[in-house]
Amino acid sequence: MDLNYTPEQQAFRAEVRAWMEAHVPKTPLKTLEGREGYDQHVEWERTLASGNWGMVTWPEAYGGRNLDLIRWLIFEEEYYRAKAPLRANQNGIFLLGPTIMEYGTDEQKARFLTPMAKGEIMWAQAWSEPNAGSDMAAIRSRAVRDGDHYVISGQKTWSSRAAFADWCFGLFRTDQDSKRHKGLSFILLPLDSPGVTVRPIRQLHGETGFAEIFFDEVRVPVENRIAGEGEGWNVAMATAGFERGLMLRSPARFQATAKRLVELYRQHEAHASPAAREAVTQAWTDAEAYALNTYMVASTIQAGGHIGAEASLNKIFWSELDRSMHRTAMSLLGAAAELRTFADGAMNEWLEGYIFSLSGPIYAGSNEIQRNIIAERLLGLPR
Amino acid sequence: MDFRFTEDQITLRDSVREYLEGTHTPELLRKLDEHGNRDDGVWNGLVEMGLAGLLVPEDQGGLGMGLIEATLIAVELGRANVSEPIVDTAFVAAPWLAAKGQTDRLGDIAGGALKVALAHDVNPWVADLDQAGAVISHGKLADVAASPVALDSVDPLRRLSARGDLGGGDPLLLDLAALMAAAQLVGAADRMLALAVDYAKQREQFGQPIGSFQAVKHHAASVAVKVEFAKPVLWRAAYALQNGHARGSVHISHAKLAATDAAIFAAETAIQIHGAMGYTYEVDLHFWMKRAWALAGAWGDRAFHLKRIDDAVIGGGIDLGPDRTFASEMIHA
Ligand SMILES: Cc1cc2nc3c(=O)[nH]c(=O)nc-3n(C[C@H](O)[C@H](O)[C@H](O)COP(=O)(O)OP(=O)(O)OC[C@H]3O[C@@H](n4cnc5c(N)ncnc54)[C@H](O)[C@@H]3O)c2cc1C
Repeated sequence: MDLNYTPEQQAFRAEVRAWMEAHVPKTPLKTLEGREGYDQHVEWERTLASGNWGMVTWPEAYGGRNLDLIRWLIFEEEYYRAKAPLRANQNGIFLLGPTIMEYGTDEQKARFLTPMAKGEIMWAQAWSEPNAGSDMAAIRSRAVRDGDHYVISGQKTWSSRAAFADWCFGLFRTDQDSKRHKGLSFILLPLDSPGVTVRPIRQLHGETGFAEIFFDEVRVPVENRIAGEGEGWNVAMATAGFERGLMLRSPARFQATAKRLVELYRQHEAHASPAAREAVTQAWTDAEAYALNTYMVASTIQAGGHIGAEASLNKIFWSELDRSMHRTAMSLLGAAAELRTFADGAMNEWLEGYIFSLSGPIYAGSNEIQRNIIAERLLGLPR
Repeated sequence: MDFRFTEDQITLRDSVREYLEGTHTPELLRKLDEHGNRDDGVWNGLVEMGLAGLLVPEDQGGLGMGLIEATLIAVELGRANVSEPIVDTAFVAAPWLAAKGQTDRLGDIAGGALKVALAHDVNPWVADLDQAGAVISHGKLADVAASPVALDSVDPLRRLSARGDLGGGDPLLLDLAALMAAAQLVGAADRMLALAVDYAKQREQFGQPIGSFQAVKHHAASVAVKVEFAKPVLWRAAYALQNGHARGSVHISHAKLAATDAAIFAAETAIQIHGAMGYTYEVDLHFWMKRAWALAGAWGDRAFHLKRIDDAVIGGGIDLGPDRTFASEMIHA
């Protein structure tokens, strides 16, 4: 056990810090969940890519820097320290990217990964359907083989930022006689394909952050399928693992929130309850615990280990931590909590954050589903 | 940066775990409970494993290991509910004496001939004073004078005495003992979860194992989350104390807090999963539950450790933010 950064790791931190200080926009971008803000965020992705910071862990051949996971954590720490914008590219780099890396052909890697690292193509996820939420195996959207194409019909929903993204990836039923997990395939397609209609849905905060996607006999070439026909479920489970696991929610994000929460507490100390004070301290301890756990997991993976169902522990921990930190902030703000912008004109980021934190225990597999996974796969309780 | 144990550390832990699984069984706990709760055979077995001298330097007859190894093993001692004063003697007194340069009795500790009790103002009691050959009190190793006044713990396997004039506020003693209490709490929490899961697999109601009911599953899963996220905090605290980090005390308080919360939550959940069986003196669970209650308040209760963290976090003694997790390590690198 060695909890010191090497001189090379420290030099890397300094390099990231200097670049972020020079490039992170001085005024916050508009929300990622609306058109204008989304475009600003995409522009930021391209700025990141111009510095070769798109996805530092990827091989150089695909636009990365071939760095290890500890450096990825350092990168993330500096990223959040610099208050850099949220990643419009997250579905690509954190979810689809690793999936293609593991299951894609060489052609698919060359075709999709480099533009992804460069921030040229933004991705939406298309799993959920009106009748397939937690029960994703109930997917009905069909992809019927027609020569070297699939013809896709059906409906997806809750697809984050699909109203703004360029392509989507998801599961479609390629074997029409199949049931449940079998007969599903993992397919990628452009959202401007003929026959695709994207209908935005307003989220709790009022922005159209997710959308329904309707497919009406959309023709998609067979080479857009990742892995074999009918093997989509296993591929999707790997993608879901990436989502719950190490990448999507790096500890730096929550440590930044915990720090802001302590600062907020200091401003409101005069009228804060002892319970709020304890919750603030707990925010720091839990954000630290999450960071420590992540460093442990990263060290283990780096040494050839891997994480499976343990990812479900992570997902529960960060989503409940995020919600509780924002709930604490709302209680510290008291009567000002409801204001979208404060009297001094500053945006109430705590309110936005609180609203978003309420979705954490739902998306990426609800926390009830995660608890099922922990109980059955980690603890061995009967199904 | 490498947040992993070495293979040697894992091997050592596994051998201790295996030994305790084989010898320190629930049947033994019940026997100890009925017959005076201490047993030379148990003590001698631990000494033969090398645990008494684990932290004593090699030139004084020990194994010369560090707090990371000791913490790993203290988790195992908690998992097995070992009650002999091995943690106090070997993992707290020995490194404390070494740090203070009071080395003349370290050889006796390593050989298993000397049991040391620990007196500190933070506790109203001293554990195993009646068995001890010496006691750390007011900054030095002292003889055990008059025959101590026994106190009755809820934990049937703890032996407590009134502290009397013994005590003192030594900060290193507190940090070492709080770290080791946290480690035992983590071990106890793990064990209570395992007991509850085993029970849930066997006990049937409505024609199926109760562990197939989702309410029961979710109880157990929530405990798993709490326990697993206490562990890295514990390892980091051990590392910080081992390496003399400026903020070591804050990390130890964090570990004690996280371990206490995990163990109390595990205890309450485990009794719930056991139903009325959990409310009996017959079931194994109660030994660990009572140990958790005892250790939760020992060596600084929740309020004490929360305050130490609060002073650093809200009071401004520690740097906050995403790049600061290993800041104290960096300062001393
Ligand atoms: C902000 C946000 C962004 C999202 N982005 C995307 C996206 O980009 N792409 C996409 O495809 N989807 C997306 N989703 C959808 C998300 O994946 C689903 O909401 C999620 O899988 C749950 O499905 P559901 O909403 O249909 O809820 P349901 O499955 O109907 O669940 C409702 C409630 O019942 C509980 N429940 C259901 N089944 C069980 C069970 N077996 N055991 C115990 N409890 C159960 C759930 O935990 C939940 O509390 C997003 C959702 C949100 C909130």
